[in-house]
Amino acid sequence: MKVPLRSLARRTPPAAALALLALFILGPLAWLLLWAFAGTWTYPALLPQHWSLDWWGEVFSAPQLWRSIELSLFFSPVVTAVSAVVCLPAAYAFARSSFPLRRSFLVLLFSTNAFPKIGLYLAIAGLFYSLHIMGSAVGVVLIQLLGTIVFMVWIPAAAFAGVPPALEEAARDAGAGRVRTFLWVTLPVAAPGIFVAMVLAFLASFDEAQGTLLVGAPNYVTMPTQMYSLVNNYPPQAAAVFALLLSVPSVALMLLVRRHVMGGALARGFQLH
Amino acid sequence: MELPRSAGPGRAPQPAPRVGARRATVRGRLSARVGPLALALPPIALVLVFTGFPILIAVTYTLGHLGGYNSAISAIGLHQYSAGHRWATFAAYRNVLGDPDFQADVVITIWVTAVSTLSVVVIAWVVALYARFSSSWAARLLSSLSVVPLFVPVVIASYAFLTFWGPGGFVKTMAHAAGLPGFPVLSYTMDGVTLAEIWVNIPFAVLMLTSGLRNVPDSLVEAARDAGAGLGATVRQVLLPLNMLPTVIAMTFTAISVIGSYTVPYLVGPSAPNMLGVEAADTFSAFNQPQQGEVMAMVLFGLAALLAVPYLWATWATNKRSVR
Amino acid sequence: MTERAGPRNAWTSLMTSDGTAAAPSGEGLHLEGLTKVLGTSTVVDGLSLTVPAGQMCCLLGPSGCGKTTTLRMIGGFILPEQGAVRVNGLDVTALPPEKRPTAMVFQSYALWPHMSVFKNVAFGLRLRRLPRAEVEARVDAALSLVNLGHLRERRPAQLSGGEQQRVALARALVLEPQVLLLDEPLSNLDAKLRVAVREEIRDIQQRLGITTVFVTHDQDEALSVADQVAVMWQGRIEQTGSADAVYRLPRTTFVAGFVGQVSTLRGSLGPHGVRLGRGGQLVPFTGGALAVPAHLQAGEWDVAVRPEDVEVVEDQGDLGAGATARVVRETRRGHFKEVLLQLGAPEDRQGPGSGDLVRLRAYVPARPGPGGGSARVSLRRVLLYRDGVLAHEIGDRAAVVRTGGSYEQRTGRL
Repeated sequence: MKVPLRSLARRTPPAAALALLALFILGPLAWLLLWAFAGTWTYPALLPQHWSLDWWGEVFSAPQLWRSIELSLFFSPVVTAVSAVVCLPAAYAFARSSFPLRRSFLVLLFSTNAFPKIGLYLAIAGLFYSLHIMGSAVGVVLIQLLGTIVFMVWIPAAAFAGVPPALEEAARDAGAGRVRTFLWVTLPVAAPGIFVAMVLAFLASFDEAQGTLLVGAPNYVTMPTQMYSLVNNYPPQAAAVFALLLSVPSVALMLLVRRHVMGGALARGFQLH
Repeated sequence: MELPRSAGPGRAPQPAPRVGARRATVRGRLSARVGPLALALPPIALVLVFTGFPILIAVTYTLGHLGGYNSAISAIGLHQYSAGHRWATFAAYRNVLGDPDFQADVVITIWVTAVSTLSVVVIAWVVALYARFSSSWAARLLSSLSVVPLFVPVVIASYAFLTFWGPGGFVKTMAHAAGLPGFPVLSYTMDGVTLAEIWVNIPFAVLMLTSGLRNVPDSLVEAARDAGAGLGATVRQVLLPLNMLPTVIAMTFTAISVIGSYTVPYLVGPSAPNMLGVEAADTFSAFNQPQQGEVMAMVLFGLAALLAVPYLWATWATNKRSVR
Repeated sequence: MTERAGPRNAWTSLMTSDGTAAAPSGEGLHLEGLTKVLGTSTVVDGLSLTVPAGQMCCLLGPSGCGKTTTLRMIGGFILPEQGAVRVNGLDVTALPPEKRPTAMVFQSYALWPHMSVFKNVAFGLRLRRLPRAEVEARVDAALSLVNLGHLRERRPAQLSGGEQQRVALARALVLEPQVLLLDEPLSNLDAKLRVAVREEIRDIQQRLGITTVFVTHDQDEALSVADQVAVMWQGRIEQTGSADAVYRLPRTTFVAGFVGQVSTLRGSLGPHGVRLGRGGQLVPFTGGALAVPAHLQAGEWDVAVRPEDVEVVEDQGDLGAGATARVVRETRRGHFKEVLLQLGAPEDRQGPGSGDLVRLRAYVPARPGPGGGSARVSLRRVLLYRDGVLAHEIGDRAAVVRTGGSYEQRTGRL
């Protein structure tokens, strides 16, 4: 009787710890999900007393909420595309060549990322006032763009570095020039890492609240900035519904890139070479 | 198909005179150095203009220069210190650093950062180890689960946290059912902020360490076990030394993310004392004291810079060891 | 090759029209004084080489000797500091790889993982905007040349190493290059497959009559497939010649040691034999008829002996001819045995330090041979080196003494 007990004792703590961790991570999200479908729910009931879809109707009929969804779905793709155009060639250069100041540039990228976002946004606000782009769409794109640059350079750089040079040489050998070699061989082979970076850029832009609030309000109130006022001014059901809507793109994108993210595409990007 | 008597289409080499050849080579070498630099410049320029430059301007503002680019902001700010004709004044710094409320904010910011960073790294190590050495469905599920927060907007995470740990939340409900009416409510407390920061930052650390542990060959672990090392000794003497870099990276980025965070302490935390990010923003806009707000941002940057030292050192040392 | 109408017959007719290899065209490949410096080390040092059209040349050397760098300079992936690369009379030194009439098979095969076998092979043809039907026909022809027609829709990851290697070969050949470059193409295959694939490569190369440079560190590979072997060491070519010539008359002690087995010892010549080691005993030439000219009997030489040139017979008391030797070790090598012999009878040994240990390696038939530890040794052929360079060959088969001068004439360089 002693042996099974001991092996059970050895197995139980990890199992319990893992269950707790799972609860810790998923619990808040599940709780939020319940709120989105709750009619009335008062403490200390474990589940809502009444289920209801009323708040979904409320949210969908509020014009300013629709507007914020539209804005988010406009800014995030734009920011992602601009970020890719600006950063991917640089990522390739960092991965494949040594050039003057290369290392300094990498450290510079990192250190601007280390500067606290909130302090940075406050500093940028002054500049934006002078440039008269406060409260403009350009200002919003710029402020969201800044938050995507570091991983739009780092993660694709690691992905490019992981493409064996012989693959590119073989394409050159077969008659492809530099540009076609890049488009037809390097880019497709590095695609998973680039894809992960683009998804993260999209999410960073989609989730960005502080800077957008500062630069865009009141003309451009995106979903996360709308969320700030919802949290304070609406019943939990409305905020929960809105939060679920805000999660849809994130969850969809997560399912798309989960395999690559878990495969290390993100982790490789953070080891400066 | 004729082979190899006729050159394939487009395959015939152009006769290249030797002089021209040499010139092309020289040009090739020059473009090999300048070309990549040109490719790398756009994001660098963007960062310099919209991050480096504003930070420099902000530094001059905190040192009492209210004109130039700072004139727009100083026109609406209250309680500003001007350097006048001197090169700088530290009056704004003295004003902020001497404030006991600010000092309390600094202490609490460092405390939250330290506790949540250590917790994140420990949890991430456990998850990564479990994923590395167990092929069970539970291990796979756990490592997938711990990446979930990466894809949840921080605003939503904070809000979800608030309802889950709040007065009518799941935790309180369970405590009530278990007959513990005195169980603490974590919403609007710094403990709640710490827990939420852990929640938000787990994925990155797990990804770093999972990837790092995966890169350790099985044979190294088996050799250690073969030599008589138990799990603990294997981790301490083989896996930990081999994964110092991913660990340092995970710690650095977690700490920098926590120390400068805004959304989590803003939504989950108390009104005061709170973390520096919230205080800086409030001082800037709510209290309309932009100069003091920027000073706080500088203090935050100083702290973040200190946190970045081990990262830069570790990557530097690693790169020196592996010849590129 | 199976029968099929269409363009594949063009291959067939080309390769078998008169029952022989296609006639070589043009002048082949010329390297003139190629030099490549990386950092502070000169990786390739004034290398010149001519590969006649339609021939296969093996660049053979230990790792780090500069052979791959040389190949990459031919392919255009590295620019030389000095020197020129000419293909069929045209200077391609400054051309980028995509403009060169060369095609490379990479050591790692470098198949594009996101493309099917067909697309990998068709890549270069599509770049040239050939009509779809022609692309199909030429890809099919190239794939069937390497016997892979049935795998055209597979992805590289679904192929075995040998199949990947053959796809890489087809991809290079489909562009009808004037020079084919092979960078250690067999190093990632297991031993059995390596022999089969190298014969296949040789077969295809001969059928197409394509000028080929083959880089390898495996002397077996080089000797078995090459028309011409260029042995490289420290960025220079030590010797160029046919496989037979390089093996039989290695120009330097490095080549002797790198290509095949050899025992190299200090020694001097007597009238009918070689005295190996300081104060060692005289080992006679087999048969004893060979007379060494007097002028060679002065001074010391580095004497190199191939194992197959050592005649070993059972020791039958004083009746046998040859020096006495003790068998130190026997290694079974299949149909023959490799024996390590120590010259001098056991009773002659006066303890350690009384002279050099003189050891010779010899191949003997696997059937029970000189057992019991002692044997009689004579030499069929030896090579004499001074300052690391071959001076004379003395042997029974040739039964002549070759001087350095005549050697130089034979190979064109010394």
